Amino acid sequence: MAEKWLYWLEDLGRGQNDLVGKKCANLGEMAKVGLPVPHGFALSLDAYNLFMNLAGAYDEMRSCIERPETSLESITGINELSHSLRRIVESKPMPAEMAATILLHYQQLCDRCCALDVAVSTRSAGAASHPGQYETHLNVKGDADLLDKIKKVWSSSFNPTSLSFRKQKGLPLESDPIGVAVLKMVNARSAGIIFTADPNTGDIGRMIIEANWGLGESVVGGESMPDTYVVDKKTFEVVERRLGTKLKCVLPMEQGVVEQETSKDKSCSFCLSDEELAEIAKVGIRLETHFGQPQDVEWAIDSDLSFPHNVILLQTRNEVMAKKKDPVDQLLDLMVTRFVKA
Amino acid sequence: MLKDAYDLSFYEFDEERDPKVYGVLLCDVVHGRPPMKPAYMGIGWYWYYHGVRYGAARLCLPTTHGWDSRFINGYPYITAIRTTPEEAEAREPIFRERIKPFLENFDGVWDPLKADLLKTYKAARESRGLKEWDDIKKLSNDELLSFFLDFVYVINRKEGETHFIMLMAAYYISGLFQEMWRSMFGKEAGIDPKFHRLMSGFESMDVSFTRELWQLGRKAVELGLEQAFKTTEDAKVLDALKATEAGRKWSAAYHEFLLEHGWRADRQHAYDFPTWIEKPSVGIARIKVLMSEPIFPFDAHRERVNRERQEAEKDVLAKVPEGQRAAFGLLMKAAQKGGYWSEDHGYYCDLAVGAMGRWIITEFGRRFAEAGCIDDPEDVHYLHPNEIRKAAIPMGRINLRPYVERRKSAHKRNLEIEPAPFYGDISQAQDIVRSDPTLSVSTQIPIVREELKADLYGAAAAPGVVEGVARVIMSPDQLYQVQPGEIVVAPGTSSSWTVVFSVIKGLVSDGGGALSHPVIMAREFGVPCVSGCVEGTQKIKTGQRIRVDGDQGVVYILDK
Repeated sequence: MAEKWLYWLEDLGRGQNDLVGKKCANLGEMAKVGLPVPHGFALSLDAYNLFMNLAGAYDEMRSCIERPETSLESITGINELSHSLRRIVESKPMPAEMAATILLHYQQLCDRCCALDVAVSTRSAGAASHPGQYETHLNVKGDADLLDKIKKVWSSSFNPTSLSFRKQKGLPLESDPIGVAVLKMVNARSAGIIFTADPNTGDIGRMIIEANWGLGESVVGGESMPDTYVVDKKTFEVVERRLGTKLKCVLPMEQGVVEQETSKDKSCSFCLSDEELAEIAKVGIRLETHFGQPQDVEWAIDSDLSFPHNVILLQTRNEVMAKKKDPVDQLLDLMVTRFVKA
Repeated sequence: MLKDAYDLSFYEFDEERDPKVYGVLLCDVVHGRPPMKPAYMGIGWYWYYHGVRYGAARLCLPTTHGWDSRFINGYPYITAIRTTPEEAEAREPIFRERIKPFLENFDGVWDPLKADLLKTYKAARESRGLKEWDDIKKLSNDELLSFFLDFVYVINRKEGETHFIMLMAAYYISGLFQEMWRSMFGKEAGIDPKFHRLMSGFESMDVSFTRELWQLGRKAVELGLEQAFKTTEDAKVLDALKATEAGRKWSAAYHEFLLEHGWRADRQHAYDFPTWIEKPSVGIARIKVLMSEPIFPFDAHRERVNRERQEAEKDVLAKVPEGQRAAFGLLMKAAQKGGYWSEDHGYYCDLAVGAMGRWIITEFGRRFAEAGCIDDPEDVHYLHPNEIRKAAIPMGRINLRPYVERRKSAHKRNLEIEPAPFYGDISQAQDIVRSDPTLSVSTQIPIVREELKADLYGAAAAPGVVEGVARVIMSPDQLYQVQPGEIVVAPGTSSSWTVVFSVIKGLVSDGGGALSHPVIMAREFGVPCVSGCVEGTQKIKTGQRIRVDGDQGVVYILDK
């Protein structure tokens, strides 16, 4: 087992997917080349294994899986197993030596940010990118909350979808090590996504920026219709600008976050200025150039910082271009979602 | 306890069980007022309810097996026969395949079906050597009964099935379009004038028909026959025309027109209203209204309406994210075609089949009365097919009065009753209507917006705001009362009302979704309209001044 299982982002880089997970490796790469990412550190895949071993979770999970009443043949069975496994992981206290290391780094992070109990997000980082499968916790504050949420990210590798995926692929059920990124929270006024090439048409001459008020989760989740901008990558000109309904947005509370209805005046106005748009676009192009292919990037505008330093990047990954779906099939999907599954 | 429905057991309402099983049954205010007569309920209307289920089965609609229907106190009530979640899942893949052709090419499905219907009607007449209305008198009792049976069990069924497979597809498409509209633009399509602009400017057969009427009117002016049309009695106009060469020439042209297009009555969904070919003076009233217009009203607005539609199309598509644009554009086109179909089909479906039914049934009425089976030819409208079959061949030997009497007095009682808007738990109405978008053909749930402090809330069906004097019209035989510049308040309207749209200032209707007749015609003619108010005809009295706000979809009563 590796001695070192916790790294500052700036010490990481692109080659370290297998060590810390793709998200952390890419964040490290961005930090290294001077792109604006939040301060933070990464728990490697080994940290996951170390925890499970020291805490005795692996043994307990294996015996739970082998129990005769465990069945993965039904959705209920999978849900029940997921529930039991997650409870095992989350009920274990963080081993003392791990807790000490994590909290030492958290303290240093607080010092770097000149704040007490600085708010962070804990985000999963799988070795292979499985967006949306594992959990992210936002606005995490203080030692106890941090340790708790790190365990929750780990335990989310036992969610029902991942379990049935592993069963299908014949992978061991009791383990799927993932990394955890601990990042300083951005006090986001607006946030969203860049696709540095148009994912729908495959047009590499223009990029798509989607944005909403508050944290980026409302845009990533795809439930609220965000503002959409199409930017020409040569001229940085905004060639299309569509006001979204932005019915809801995600905002931080004292601890954690809340989704609430956007106020009328906000939902009726664009949430980015032209100079912010241009800055976001520039950063997008730097990313695409650096990584050598179109990127799908999460960003936020930090209201504690001033332009142009307020554009902060939270994640980048290679963009998945949609295979063009026949419009009739798109409509049939919609019809079924609206009328059958509603 | 089962409530009697003129001996039509399939319509009988089980007061205890039905609301429990179905949640809620909603009154069909669009078609049900005034109450239908038994003969129509059992023949024409039956095939529509059959059609709904046939359409649901053929399209394999995932959430519904079609409607169930009851008649309570003579008024129709409908609800959805919802599927179980397991059924929905099993039906979904088949539904995808079956709805596809409608999305890809709506007219491509409709055109051959339409041609087939026209062929069926034509063959039914020509194979019996019938051309003029009175030709049916030449048929023997056997031949008339055979025609009746063909009509009741083959022709009407075919029309009902064709009608509803198209209607269900049109409403599913329109329903999806309206849902997407709401999620993209944050506004109900029904109260969004831009949505209505998108659906306007398509010339249906109904408009073409009215244009031909207008041309006949202009021809009369050209021939110097205006004076003959000045008399108040429409039948006398036709007499006066016989006096001159020019008048006879015009009458011949009018007769030719009626032979082609006169197979329609002013009240759809009834056999007790005269058809135009049978009573040519009905059309004279309409020609009178139209003949003084130098330009056909629809054409006067056509350019503007088309321009506004094209602008709206561009505007809407520009607002749609590019990834969804192709799909949204396709859906918009299908929804427009479906909306146009909704207006067009009346001519080929409801009107044609209604006229043929009246033709046969009133001929039986005449023969039964003459042979002493009933007292009055009109009493035939209280009979059911079984009784007509019973008495058709032994003509004169069967006494049909016992059937007539009890149903006639029940119908008379029902005329005095104001129907309850629903039976059961109204809070389930939204769910039920959502499970089957086609229910919006006949039901309406108003979108109340307290902040507008209006007297009635409905759908912003056609834009514009007008103030004027209300004229409450409960059935088409009162249409002659409408004075130019009035605002018509009606339970619903059908194709036969098209002609008044050229003289009225505004329209308020109790029923009518986004694809209903009043809504579409009001848009075509540029008349501000609020539809789906539910209680318009109850709350507004003739002579009251009202303000119709077709932009917001609300009505204010100004002198309460």
